[in-house]
Amino acid sequence: MDASNVVELKAVTKRYDELVAVNNIDLTIPTGEIFALLGPNGSGKSTTLKMLLGLVQPTAGSVHVLGLDVQKEPVAVKQQVGYVPESPSVYEFLTGIEYLDFIADIYGVPPAEKQQRINEYLKALQLEGREGDMINSYSDGMKKKLSLISAFLNKPKLLILDEPLNALDPRSARIVKDLLHQLKLQGVTTILSTHVLEIAEAVCDRIGIMYQGNILALGSMNELREKASLPSSGLEDIFLKLTGTGDLKPVVEELLR
Amino acid sequence: MNWKNVLALIRVERKSGRLIRGVKKTRYKENRFLAYWPYWVAAIIGVLGGLGANAIASEVYSSPSEISLPPLETSALGFFIIMPTLVLIFSIVFSMLQQIQMSGVKVTSRVNYWLPITWQEQTLASILANLMGLPVALTIGFAAGLLVFAGLNGLIFAALVTTVFMLAAAFMGSSTTEILRIIQVRFTGAVYKSSGRAAVWVRFIGSITFFIVFYVVYLSITQGFTNFIQGLTTFQSSFWFIPFVWPGLTLFYVFYGMLLEGALFIALTAAFIAALYLSAVKLNERFGLYEPPAIRIQAGGTYTPKTGILGKLGFTSAEAAIIRKDIRSFTRRRELIGLFIVPVVFVIIPLMQSIGITNQGAPQEVSLMFLAMVFLLSSSIMAMSLGNMLIGEEGEAVWRIYASPISPKNLVKSKFAFLLFFAIITLLITGTIGTLFYNPPVNIIAVGFLQGLFLIFPVGSIALSIGFKGADFSVTPRPRMIRPSWSYLSLGACALAALGILSPFIPSLLGMMLSSNLTFESLAAIDFTIPVIISAVISAVITVVFYRINLNSAEELIRKAEI
Repeated sequence: MDASNVVELKAVTKRYDELVAVNNIDLTIPTGEIFALLGPNGSGKSTTLKMLLGLVQPTAGSVHVLGLDVQKEPVAVKQQVGYVPESPSVYEFLTGIEYLDFIADIYGVPPAEKQQRINEYLKALQLEGREGDMINSYSDGMKKKLSLISAFLNKPKLLILDEPLNALDPRSARIVKDLLHQLKLQGVTTILSTHVLEIAEAVCDRIGIMYQGNILALGSMNELREKASLPSSGLEDIFLKLTGTGDLKPVVEELLR
Repeated sequence: MNWKNVLALIRVERKSGRLIRGVKKTRYKENRFLAYWPYWVAAIIGVLGGLGANAIASEVYSSPSEISLPPLETSALGFFIIMPTLVLIFSIVFSMLQQIQMSGVKVTSRVNYWLPITWQEQTLASILANLMGLPVALTIGFAAGLLVFAGLNGLIFAALVTTVFMLAAAFMGSSTTEILRIIQVRFTGAVYKSSGRAAVWVRFIGSITFFIVFYVVYLSITQGFTNFIQGLTTFQSSFWFIPFVWPGLTLFYVFYGMLLEGALFIALTAAFIAALYLSAVKLNERFGLYEPPAIRIQAGGTYTPKTGILGKLGFTSAEAAIIRKDIRSFTRRRELIGLFIVPVVFVIIPLMQSIGITNQGAPQEVSLMFLAMVFLLSSSIMAMSLGNMLIGEEGEAVWRIYASPISPKNLVKSKFAFLLFFAIITLLITGTIGTLFYNPPVNIIAVGFLQGLFLIFPVGSIALSIGFKGADFSVTPRPRMIRPSWSYLSLGACALAALGILSPFIPSLLGMMLSSNLTFESLAAIDFTIPVIISAVISAVITVVFYRINLNSAEELIRKAEI
């Protein structure tokens, strides 16, 4: 594996019986890049992200993260990665602060750092004042903030974020976006999956478009425009064209009938 | 009142109840005959009971030696009179049991307040749906028995009237449960609001106290049924001013021809039922949509990490974190708090039995058996139940374990330590109660505590390994934690292991039993050193073997996360 790459997927396939969720994909992501995976529902984005963390085992191919084989050294990989799933179920019987304390202890964050980081993040994401409440009283947005903080707590080298800005208020979403930029400058790599194309366009260095388990296109915004032959278009038009779902007018007309 | 709304709401409640009991969630098609099987079965048992009662009564009353008995009609009516109160008690007990069953359910049928349904309809549907299941089945069974018996003995009018009042009593019972349910939600909310961190402990201790009281009442009824029935007759006439016995009193006055008093109590009963229903409606209007406020456990302000003792005991920070999280889980989650009642029940049963037997002069063999139950059963069952549940209780948040740098060793060590901690505490408490209550010789106390320990370790290890294999992380409609077939397997495996560990004691105890010399005095003279040592070795071997199996299972669980 190339030392400058944080992620290397080689000929990776994931099947669930007859369903091919991910079909023979190759992907490398260099250090410090913010990479977005886009695609319609069921295109294989979340499965790919989970394979990076060993949460789903590939049927074929190899997955290396931070120079480690995920299947052989899962604990070592997880130690250096921050992960936010699409719908994070958290321990609702804990308070926010207890949850973050639990996460910090799991990652072995020293007490002094733990205290500093937790307090900083609680303040930045405006959870201050609610950290002593049980999580079952939190809104979806607050739970998302908690999951994001828990992903940042261990100062990871790689962030894997599945729909990270869902349910966040505009201020918190902005903070997270700025944070990702700052972390990039510190050499932290981020892989995110999103349906919000504006976010991918604004935040990411490269974008991969997945459809039916395949990576249809991969590159920067300019490279994607070229590939789609849409030189001045936005990501939405490129996405719809590449995934073959572009002509939506008849669908809307049918609904209005 | 829109009766269509009421019927629709009852149907929803009934179906959600079936889901909670584990009927498959997809493609559910109701077979009406099978769906209502408890009622058919109750009716059949009732008919058979009525025929049996008639046969016994015929036999007794045809015997010339029994001429001192009161007339059959008087005896039968005396029994009919207490039936409404009996149904009322069963209705309250079983409808509360259903509420307890619902309490841990994630998907509850919340009030759809945005739909055009009134609180009167909502409350009536809730009361009637509460009645469905065991309360109605019992009423049907009793009614069938009474009607058959009465039909054969010319008392059909009395049986019909009794049936009507049994239904009224069942409705009373269910209304009472509805009122208590709403008050409990509001009261709990008030406690949370005012008590801060203490609220969690109030809930924990309050839930356990409720369970203890509930089971003491339940066991008193079921274990001394004859005494209970006799006591009920006296209770009804002595406490006539309590509205709950008015249906029974009405029957008394009607059957004995005091029609004026009968009419008065019919009116009073109807008024009381109406008052209960209206109170439930009013409470629902006031608190039906009440959301208990968020439980604030810690005050706000700057967070400061605390150092616990777990680190000093040799646990890594990850292991200590998992143990702390599980302690919070088992003391805060209502569906898990119930687990702590298991050892209490297994102490209450032998103690209550002992009290009854001791009054009649108990043989020491029986006391010894109860002593063994108190010493060994509670802590072992605690270890088994915790082992079964500790993996599955992670629920949908199990992704956190998969996604975190937690090794199989971390996971097994923390979970095993947790179950040992609670099982040993249980042993210490129940063993002390057994010692104080039965006052056995010192060597038996020592053997009791040691064998309790020797059971906890292997039983916990076996149950944990089955908990890994049979873990069920689904939380809807209710957190299941372990698949039922695996929990039965766990019970069988733990029972076998326990038998093996206790087997070294069988020869000496069997010898004493055969010579009818199984007393505390004779046990005090026996040296149990060798059986204890053999037992310890068997226990250690089983524990180590299954601990290794646990490590492999944990590795497999984390590797094959597949979330």
